[in-house]
Amino acid sequence: MTTKDKYKKVAYYPGCALEGSGHSYNRSTKAVGKALGLDLVEVKNWNCCGAMEVKNIDPKIQTYLSSRVMSTAANEMDMDVVMAPCNGCYHNLKKAEYDLANDKESAEVVDRLSQKAGHKTYESGQVETIHALDWIKESIGEDGLAERVKNSLSGIKIANYYGCMYTRPRHIFPEKDQGPGSESTSKPHFMDDLLAAAGAENVDFPLKTACCGGAHTLSDSDTSTKLVLNILKAAKLSGADVIATECPTCHSGLEMHQIRAEKTLGETVDIKILYFTQLLGMALGLKAKKVGVHENISDSIKFLKERGLG
Amino acid sequence: MPIHEKSLIRPENLTTHEELTLDGVDVSGHWSTFIETRVVKDYNESLQDEIAALPGGEEIHRCWQCGSCTNACTVNAINEDFNPRYWIYLIRMGMESELLRDKDIIWQCVSCNKCTYACPRDVFPEGVMKATAHWLERKGHTEKSPSTHFDEVFTEQVVKTGKIEESRTMRRFFSRTGQALVQPWLIEMVKRMLRGLPVGMLTRMGLATLVAPRTNDWSSASAAIQEYIDEQHEKQSQALSLAELVETAKQDVAT
Repeated sequence: MTTKDKYKKVAYYPGCALEGSGHSYNRSTKAVGKALGLDLVEVKNWNCCGAMEVKNIDPKIQTYLSSRVMSTAANEMDMDVVMAPCNGCYHNLKKAEYDLANDKESAEVVDRLSQKAGHKTYESGQVETIHALDWIKESIGEDGLAERVKNSLSGIKIANYYGCMYTRPRHIFPEKDQGPGSESTSKPHFMDDLLAAAGAENVDFPLKTACCGGAHTLSDSDTSTKLVLNILKAAKLSGADVIATECPTCHSGLEMHQIRAEKTLGETVDIKILYFTQLLGMALGLKAKKVGVHENISDSIKFLKERGLG
Repeated sequence: MPIHEKSLIRPENLTTHEELTLDGVDVSGHWSTFIETRVVKDYNESLQDEIAALPGGEEIHRCWQCGSCTNACTVNAINEDFNPRYWIYLIRMGMESELLRDKDIIWQCVSCNKCTYACPRDVFPEGVMKATAHWLERKGHTEKSPSTHFDEVFTEQVVKTGKIEESRTMRRFFSRTGQALVQPWLIEMVKRMLRGLPVGMLTRMGLATLVAPRTNDWSSASAAIQEYIDEQHEKQSQALSLAELVETAKQDVAT
């Protein structure tokens, strides 16, 4: 089966954030999938991937938590591909995959915990974990997307923000940096490609993979605010109207600290923040509500209406 | 600045003489500021092993001090005292007292992994920063950082229910760190969030705060994870000789 066909039906792992602060990402991902004729089957009775917080307490527990999700997809649902739109979940599943293939001790701990928990141990290689970007890029592609566009995003200038977890550290993403057609870890472009196919104008944005300080968004808010302010200002100076995001933690970090910068530093940066799936959905002719624009904290409704979107 | 001299040229190690003649040469004044000789005697020879015994610190011995980590570091760009390369050097040399000068900022690593990406030796400096922050806390050199409190609140919830409900994690974090939940910027955020939301969505969010989402049949996984965490915690305490530390402290108090 070609990758293109393989990605048409995937196990969908939304993760905790997409049921909370990132709900509009969940909604828009599903809506875009439906509009494109792609099949999402949610992982049954899933659990948290472990996020950065559990990793900080014990990395092997994070590996186990992520492996349980993959085990369910592989052994109970007979799926080959798990798609995670959240950078954190995506990163952790990839990391677990790498550790299980390369670190015997991790594999032993995961086996022991899986047995005690009463489910099949996940064996590395059973599933392939992909991001929502890979999912659309590979199954539909730029040409396929361009054919389906009803409302072009033309005239909208976008800074594509990928964050940290999508490309770093390099070793857990063996499929990246493999030449033409593959994703780059230093200058990622999948989101740029998709939004360009939908008619948007991508600006040259130097902070694509800068850090928003998401890890300390509450525990060291001043640092996060400084880092977010850098990103917002750089995007604005690059000429962007919108920052497109692909991670619920980055997205809510940008939104929260945009407000915090206003309130604590008196620095206002007028720039819209939207998930790339929201932009794609509207390009495919979906209403703003359908892709959850009203659920965002950053208010873009008027901006979108003026441009004939949503 | 060459690494060795950093501690020597701190103001407290410099002396300026009003009037000083050496071998007939007048060396008085500020221009001839002298560096006090300093002999380092307080090496902690097990420091590197202790850091390596904590998760993330395992590969610290590989470092060859190229400085790529500090050069790539997100936090270093906003605070030049945040210097992973230097701390790795101090740990490897066993210069504990020097390391302790920076004890209050090491936890501020944002885990962006730019260092790990740049490192040519697979030291995983991000992991070393976490291990060092934990070492400082476990050894009693610092209080638990807000970040550790957050990690603990978060992990407790995952172990208990299998999932995270964000507002619950947030409330527990604020209460554990003794911060008011009612902060002006948070109020503004909630206001803006509520502006566009339909009633159905609000009800759903309200329900989530009352009834935590959970993974079904989680109890055996939960027990297995907790058992493993406790076991690792005990192993690390032994590697850090924490029992001896407590014993010494008791004797100090007694005498």
